Amino acid sequence: MANKLTVGLAQIDCTLGAVKGNVQKHLSWIEKAREQGVELLLFPELSITGYRLLHLTSRVSCRIDESETIRQLADASGEMAVVVGLVEEGGQGVLYNSAVMLRAGQIVHVHRKLYLPTYGIFQEGRFFGPGQRLDLAPIAGEKLGLLICEDLWHPQLAQRLAAGGGKVLGVLSAGPGRVGSGETLESQEIWECITRSTAVVNTSWLLYCNRVGWEEGSFYAGGSHIVRPGGQILCRAANFQEDLLVATLDLREVDRLRWRLPLLRAERADIEGPG
Amino acid sequence: MNETKYWIRDRLGLNAALAETVLTGFIRDAVETTRSKGVVVGLSGGVDSALAAALAAKALEPSRVHAFLLPYRTSNPDSISDAEVVAKDFDLVTTTIDISPMVDLYFENLAEGDIDKVRLGNKMARERMSILFDQAKKLGCLVLGTSNKTEILLGYSTIFGDNASSINPLGDLYKQQVWQLAHHLGVPQEVVGKKPSADLWPGQTDEGELGFDYTSADEVLCLMFDLGLSPSEVVDQGYAASVVDRIAAMEERNRFKRRLMLIARLSDSAINLDREIPRD
Repeated sequence: MANKLTVGLAQIDCTLGAVKGNVQKHLSWIEKAREQGVELLLFPELSITGYRLLHLTSRVSCRIDESETIRQLADASGEMAVVVGLVEEGGQGVLYNSAVMLRAGQIVHVHRKLYLPTYGIFQEGRFFGPGQRLDLAPIAGEKLGLLICEDLWHPQLAQRLAAGGGKVLGVLSAGPGRVGSGETLESQEIWECITRSTAVVNTSWLLYCNRVGWEEGSFYAGGSHIVRPGGQILCRAANFQEDLLVATLDLREVDRLRWRLPLLRAERADIEGPG
Repeated sequence: MNETKYWIRDRLGLNAALAETVLTGFIRDAVETTRSKGVVVGLSGGVDSALAAALAAKALEPSRVHAFLLPYRTSNPDSISDAEVVAKDFDLVTTTIDISPMVDLYFENLAEGDIDKVRLGNKMARERMSILFDQAKKLGCLVLGTSNKTEILLGYSTIFGDNASSINPLGDLYKQQVWQLAHHLGVPQEVVGKKPSADLWPGQTDEGELGFDYTSADEVLCLMFDLGLSPSEVVDQGYAASVVDRIAAMEERNRFKRRLMLIARLSDSAINLDREIPRD
């Protein structure tokens, strides 16, 4: 099926610091996804380690080129592209909050989180170093851009990925849930505002994979979803429970929309003014 | 009404059905993660403990929720009967332990007159929590906290007494959100609607002792703590300066009481997670 891509979002609960058990869960979800014909499977941010690690961060880190865990997951991936979240050891004692894409026993792409939230509940800047590079990954003869959670709140990243030829944006997230007075979760409302507007202004498919479960009194609601290049939500995972969301995307829809809605082609870098 | 008041009203509203889902999940997760058999909760006859017990009864089998009535000899008889109504409504078995002998014995052994009503009240609150933790040990359970966000921020509690707990599902709910959620869960109206009281001495009411009502306190705290307005900016919104100053002073003076709790986070201003304010 040329131009078609079957994607899966593995909305799992991850146990804080329990790498072994989390890896086992990844292996069984990879099998589940394979049974459904998934070609690209996303796990949430820091899916191997749990999110709110604080001083556990350095105890669960790994050098991805030497890690037995990574080798095991890469071998299990087969022909599927599997994206997992973990703590990556860089050189000079820097740890990165990374998304690692694995296929057929190999590491095919690494994205190091570029914006580390360090405010309110978030403390990433205390434990991680920020990534320095944005890249596109190959998928089904097209290009995929990977971002991690806060990265999506800085719109120039998604725009650069789309302008560089990315047709699918994959976002790994550990977005804490919030309840207010509205009909839906406050956290979900704001995320969907961002994912939908990112998809439409960049005329790209957008995959948002969030986790579920509790960590230190803070919950993750799930609500993973897929947004069409026109900004409509194609499908959404259940809230508050583990779920595998699978859909087949038509990548040509991106081209057709970009002809009709040539936002990227019209982008200008030469406008004078503030900033 | 100005824009800030709309904002406040919106922030103090609560989607009770969603909050129920999240907070029952919090209790279930904490019990499972710690491999506990259930929870123990002290039922005072007031709305906070009724809500905590109701959430636990919905999160777990009611047989895993152990309710304790811990009256002192001066306790208002209505408190006990209200607690019994709540237990019955949520299918909870209760155990009653009179705390008068232990509390009285302590003060009898002190010098004549070495007592005041606040210390007596504190002793009662700590005696109760001491019993709850002992029973929790015996039953292999967690102690369910019942302090809400308003009283935690005001420090209107006894440290290591009613403000102690293993887990607290209510700590990110302002008092009026407690009322909303309790109403939603079917806590009897006579409990939701009655005047809040610690019942530490006859005739005591929270609002009488505090000198302001909970609705104002919630709004002022929300403006200062959640939204970051200064006391003078809060006064500019139309709140009485005397009330704002008193709330601001209580909040500052009692910060030391609020660093030991595991709170279920619902908003973007959870006390222990989003606003870690040093105690000194």
